[in-house]
Amino acid sequence: MEGNLSSAAPVIAVDALEKRYGAVHAVRGVTFSIWPGTCVGLLGPNGAGKTTIMRMIMALAQPTAGRLSLFGEAPRALGRAMRERVGLVPQEDNLDPDLSVRQNLEVYGRYFGRPAAELAERVPRLLAFMQLTERADAKVMQLSGGMKRRLIIARALIADPELIVLDEPTTGLDPQARVLIWRRLIDLKREGKTLLLTTHYMDEAQRLCDRIIIIDHGKVLDEGSPQDLIDRHTRAYVVEIAKPLPAGFAEDGLERNDIGDAMLYYANEPTDVTRRLPPHATYVTRLANLEDVFLRLTGHSLRKGD
Amino acid sequence: MTAESAAIPVNRYSRAVWRRNALVWRQLMGPSIATNVLDPLIFLFAFGYGLGAVLDRVGGLNYLSFVVPGMMCYAAMFAASFEASISVYARFHMQRTWDAILATPVTLTELMLGEMSWAATKGVFSSCCVIAVGLVWGGIGDLWGLAIALPVVALGAVCFASTGLVVTAHAKSWDIFSYFFTFWVTPMFMFSGTFFEVARFPWFVQAFAWVLPMTHLIAVVRPLVAGLPLDPLAAVGHVAYLAALSLAAFWFARARFGARLFG
Repeated sequence: MEGNLSSAAPVIAVDALEKRYGAVHAVRGVTFSIWPGTCVGLLGPNGAGKTTIMRMIMALAQPTAGRLSLFGEAPRALGRAMRERVGLVPQEDNLDPDLSVRQNLEVYGRYFGRPAAELAERVPRLLAFMQLTERADAKVMQLSGGMKRRLIIARALIADPELIVLDEPTTGLDPQARVLIWRRLIDLKREGKTLLLTTHYMDEAQRLCDRIIIIDHGKVLDEGSPQDLIDRHTRAYVVEIAKPLPAGFAEDGLERNDIGDAMLYYANEPTDVTRRLPPHATYVTRLANLEDVFLRLTGHSLRKGD
Repeated sequence: MTAESAAIPVNRYSRAVWRRNALVWRQLMGPSIATNVLDPLIFLFAFGYGLGAVLDRVGGLNYLSFVVPGMMCYAAMFAASFEASISVYARFHMQRTWDAILATPVTLTELMLGEMSWAATKGVFSSCCVIAVGLVWGGIGDLWGLAIALPVVALGAVCFASTGLVVTAHAKSWDIFSYFFTFWVTPMFMFSGTFFEVARFPWFVQAFAWVLPMTHLIAVVRPLVAGLPLDPLAAVGHVAYLAALSLAAFWFARARFGARLFG
């Protein structure tokens, strides 16, 4: 680590964190740190414990065991000061349905104790940043799913937070809406904000995150940059062959994954696989991506409730 | 328990919650004023002509002077109870407005103080609508007494709002609110002296009536508004009962909400 101590202090430090809800052991000893100015993704299947970890970081749930610090202190010791420095984008839509788009931001700004003059200047800027200026006087119910997400993100930015915590920011949105949100999150990163996001979209994680922490069953399976994880857990290439497999194809010795209607083979060179195939056999070759890492680490069977 | 419990509530944050509710209400102010004024008018018309014609004097008063102070209290009770129960539950559970607020510097105690004071404000507002009707229609005997009665009505509204929050803090679905109205709001309407004297009931109903905060509120407000003598010691007792019940109810609701939200 170079630089002075203050810039080297993690924004979030989590050490052997555990959470039990009665008989449910939702988080079973999770350790990680998040450094200023980075974007870190918590990746995991539904029910992996991602939201529970976020709730503990936001002091909305108390850890059963382990240590958790935010800006160098326990969230509960920081109390109000902590919430002034963090913007939360929750998974579910909890915009205020009784208020207009603009009022949602103004009223939220007052919850942060911000003076009216500051909000009068800041609200139009946030509406423009999230491309909502034209819908400023619309009621929340009249907004599309993508606009609602943008408004929730704008709302999280009302007090100019240092850390932005996003719980599945683009789930359920169409591709255009997702791309717009990704652009804005990259803008925020450029401004020096620290971002912590959960997602189960691999493309989103690969695009936005400097580091990824893969979680399942309340435990960290691995963490690193997207490329580190790919290098560590898969080969460079994936060859996908539809079932039924061609007659005479010998797959012994190949790393593989059964995804139902097709088989995935992992190899350093595509020819490691393709030279075993009979002539004219059809296959698809691509570079390995995070999805492959995720499938290998968490298994590919769907969870209850998916 | 979380950071919440340690922080001393700051008025600015409670007021932000109060102002949120006021902003929403202002957009629907017209219908709200209309119903709050029409409601007592209908009551006064029906009871005034119906009961008032039969009853000569009740508790030493003509029926209109008897019933207007009672309705002042009833309006405050109903509006504050409704807002603190059904409306707060909608914001807490259906709309998830509370979740959004608790992710900001506003603490649970401040959020609840904002909701409680807003429910009480609506109670006082409804009561003022009855006063406006009473000033025109008749039934207010003493304007000075009315001025002293108003803060007592406000305390009553705080008490009804706080007890309403206790029910909301326990609510898992809308069903509980029908019990709340059947076993709490309606008895306060019937047995606390709004339309009939408490003394007319058998002793066990009277004993129950004096548990209800409404009975204590009316016992202070009616003599003040009608210009009848009021025993100061009894008045202090009634006010103390309302204050103590408010504090106990708010504390109890706070503990229950805290356990539910951050458990």
